Amino acid sequence: MNTKAFTPAETCSTTEAAPKRPVLECQNLSVFAGSKCILREISLSIAENQVFGMVGPSGAGKSTLLRAFNRLIDLQPNFRIEGTIRLNGNDIYERSVDPDQLRSRVGMLFQQPVVFPASIEDNVLFGLRHHRKLSRSEKATEVESALRSAALWDEVKERLKESALRLSVGQQQRLCLARTLAVNPEIILMDEPTSALDARSTESIEQLIVELKKQRTIVLVTHNLGQARRVTDWIACLCPSKESGSGQLLESACCDSFFESPTCRTVFRQIPDDELLPPA
Amino acid sequence: MASVGFTAFAILFLIGMVGIFLWQSLPVWQQEGWSYLTGERWFFRQLEFGILPMIYGSLAVALIALGFSVPIGVGAAIFAAEILHPRLRVPLKIAVELLAGVPSVVYGLLGILFLRDWIYSILTPFDPLSGDTLLTAGLLLGMMVLPTIMTLSDDALRGVPTGYRQAARGLGLTRAEVIFSAIFPQAWRGILAAVLLGFGRALGETIAVFLVVGRQDNVLPEHWFSLRPLIEAGQTLTSKLGGAETHIAYSDPLHWAAIVGLGLVLLAIVAGITWLAAWLMRAKEVSDAPGI
Amino acid sequence: MRRVFDRFLTGLTALCALIGVSIILMIVAAVVWRGGGAISWDFLTDQIRLVGASGGIFYNILGTLILLVTALAVSAPFAFGIALTHGVFLRKTRSRERLMMWIYVLNGVPSILLGLLGFIVFVLFLGWGKSWLTGGILLGMMMVPTVAVSLSERIQALPSRYLDAAAGLGLTESQRIWSVILPQSFGGWVTGSLLGLARAAGETAPIMFTATIFAGATLPTGIKENPVLSLPYHIFILAQDSFDPATGEKLWGAALVLLLLVFSLSLAALPLRLHLHEEAKTS
Repeated sequence: MNTKAFTPAETCSTTEAAPKRPVLECQNLSVFAGSKCILREISLSIAENQVFGMVGPSGAGKSTLLRAFNRLIDLQPNFRIEGTIRLNGNDIYERSVDPDQLRSRVGMLFQQPVVFPASIEDNVLFGLRHHRKLSRSEKATEVESALRSAALWDEVKERLKESALRLSVGQQQRLCLARTLAVNPEIILMDEPTSALDARSTESIEQLIVELKKQRTIVLVTHNLGQARRVTDWIACLCPSKESGSGQLLESACCDSFFESPTCRTVFRQIPDDELLPPA
Repeated sequence: MASVGFTAFAILFLIGMVGIFLWQSLPVWQQEGWSYLTGERWFFRQLEFGILPMIYGSLAVALIALGFSVPIGVGAAIFAAEILHPRLRVPLKIAVELLAGVPSVVYGLLGILFLRDWIYSILTPFDPLSGDTLLTAGLLLGMMVLPTIMTLSDDALRGVPTGYRQAARGLGLTRAEVIFSAIFPQAWRGILAAVLLGFGRALGETIAVFLVVGRQDNVLPEHWFSLRPLIEAGQTLTSKLGGAETHIAYSDPLHWAAIVGLGLVLLAIVAGITWLAAWLMRAKEVSDAPGI
Repeated sequence: MRRVFDRFLTGLTALCALIGVSIILMIVAAVVWRGGGAISWDFLTDQIRLVGASGGIFYNILGTLILLVTALAVSAPFAFGIALTHGVFLRKTRSRERLMMWIYVLNGVPSILLGLLGFIVFVLFLGWGKSWLTGGILLGMMMVPTVAVSLSERIQALPSRYLDAAAGLGLTESQRIWSVILPQSFGGWVTGSLLGLARAAGETAPIMFTATIFAGATLPTGIKENPVLSLPYHIFILAQDSFDPATGEKLWGAALVLLLLVFSLSLAALPLRLHLHEEAKTS
């Protein structure tokens, strides 16, 4: 029925996502918006150089969880956190932590590509130039390196000074990836990065993800179970609880065993089988 | 349909205004020509009509007003749009709108009672005649124009989609960096339009200026950059129009034409500025980022 | 270093906002302080005596109200005409933009010029002398852009499903306008009018040559040579002379009454505007 297009993830040898030292973890994390509980007591461990997938129905709080990891939810006024989130063992919500510095180590790719009305070059450098001063040659090197890592270099190397708005949506998303990579984060959070893209662009982003995990850690939220199957090493399933509506962790398992798990089969039975197929 | 008729009338109203002013002021254009605009002396009894001092007065007063209101207005708008807790936004907006609604005659009254004496005491080293000066009028106008600039700048800043803020902060930019690198490049047109509209409003304000500007004709700086006249009494296009001469001018056709000419010049300047601001506000970047 | 600049900017802009808010508080405080003492039932219901030194401002309030009601009536057809033309009849975006630009320019016309125009047309040409109707017409024209824009925004915000449903039932364009668009956008007219009236109430320049006098008028009996008293003009005249202390408090009292009138009109528009804003956000 389902054929994997890429190298399958290794069969699980352990029962934990991060048996030794997790690069990112949360313990009993609850997130509140005002009085409403969005996530209830989530505990996860994410290992280094892994693609950690998060799946689940809408409203389960996956995006919120992602935004908690890079403290982007600080921007929303009534959010409150209980529990801890640790990056390399250090609590990221501690007073001494600078959220802006944190975000240069934990990057994010959004569902809709957000491209600034400037040249391609300026877009790539947009984050990096605020973090450190760059000479002209350094700028050129960084731009090329980031665009290569995002598999966009060949397509745009002749027109770096042109407006980035002229790129197709798929190219724009890769540009956003290049921009994030330029800042050189250890972890990249991706919030449904391919749901606005066509099949071809989706495929190239998926290939990039698998490539990127060799040097970084990726946390991927996706609606597409087929994508989860192809790309992730470990999957956590979040589901809104029937009584309170707040998101809870239902199952966390290594990719292969996840799809055999009866719990998640129940949750996903409404999702049609063709979502599990790789793109044509 | 009737709707279109009413709309057409409203548009023609403006054109009609220009036409009527032009017609009524014709004698002075024929008589003086360009020296009406460049002439430095206005002595109506000798039928000498040069309005340069009044143009200077109007510009000086409006620029002082902008000097006060633009930094504070844009600063406050940045605070309201980017930094302030959303719950406090509505009370602030209400406060600003009420400020915008204060009638000019009340501002004038406050100017007479408080500002005038305060300026007089500040200027004592310069030996002023009274507290009614171009500076006084300018500061008063600054307070009047402040809410306009604040509200419109706030609108311009809020008009930038939030996706940009999220993306920029996600890259690790501080709030200040987000404002300058991500928001301003998109909002500057709207802010410029706000400044222009404030300028237009300052140029057109009559009552408050009338009460505190001193209404002294023929005040012009000796040198190009001399600031001396600012601390003296002066005259603006509007303060002349709002004064007694408008009532008595009709007895002499040239005098009357000169008065209406003031209106025409004022209309031309303000309409031009307003048109420019409106044009700025509607010109947009080729495509905004999709669906943010 | 980046943090320092961030903190600095926050502080600086907060200061600006504080200055803005303080100004309004100081204005209100000053007017209340100086004028509060003059407010009494007599003050509001008596007429002017001794050139404002004693008596009340009854006819001034009345005159202003007469002008406002007239202005409301005059502005309505123009505002509706413009809003409908913009929202319904004009198809091309360019024409719509052009229309809006005209409206902006109209809005920016200094009110003194409206007064001057009115003086030329109504007093000199038509020979009406000073008339309440002239004042109402001029103030009404001044209000038109405000009301038109508010109405137009409301019309734009109408969910298209209402119009689709009406069209689907076979209603003509005219019927759709009267049965769907106008009733639904009525709120926009109300808020726009309230805001426009708030502005018109405080204006002196359009009416000082054409409609109002300082003393001697009560209720108008006709159109020609029938001026009214008004609050802003009253304040304007008294403010010019170095007034004697007797009129001082009453002058501020009149200013306070005017301020209260303007604020009430402005604030009255608020609940409806917030409601409409919420509606627009959720639909």
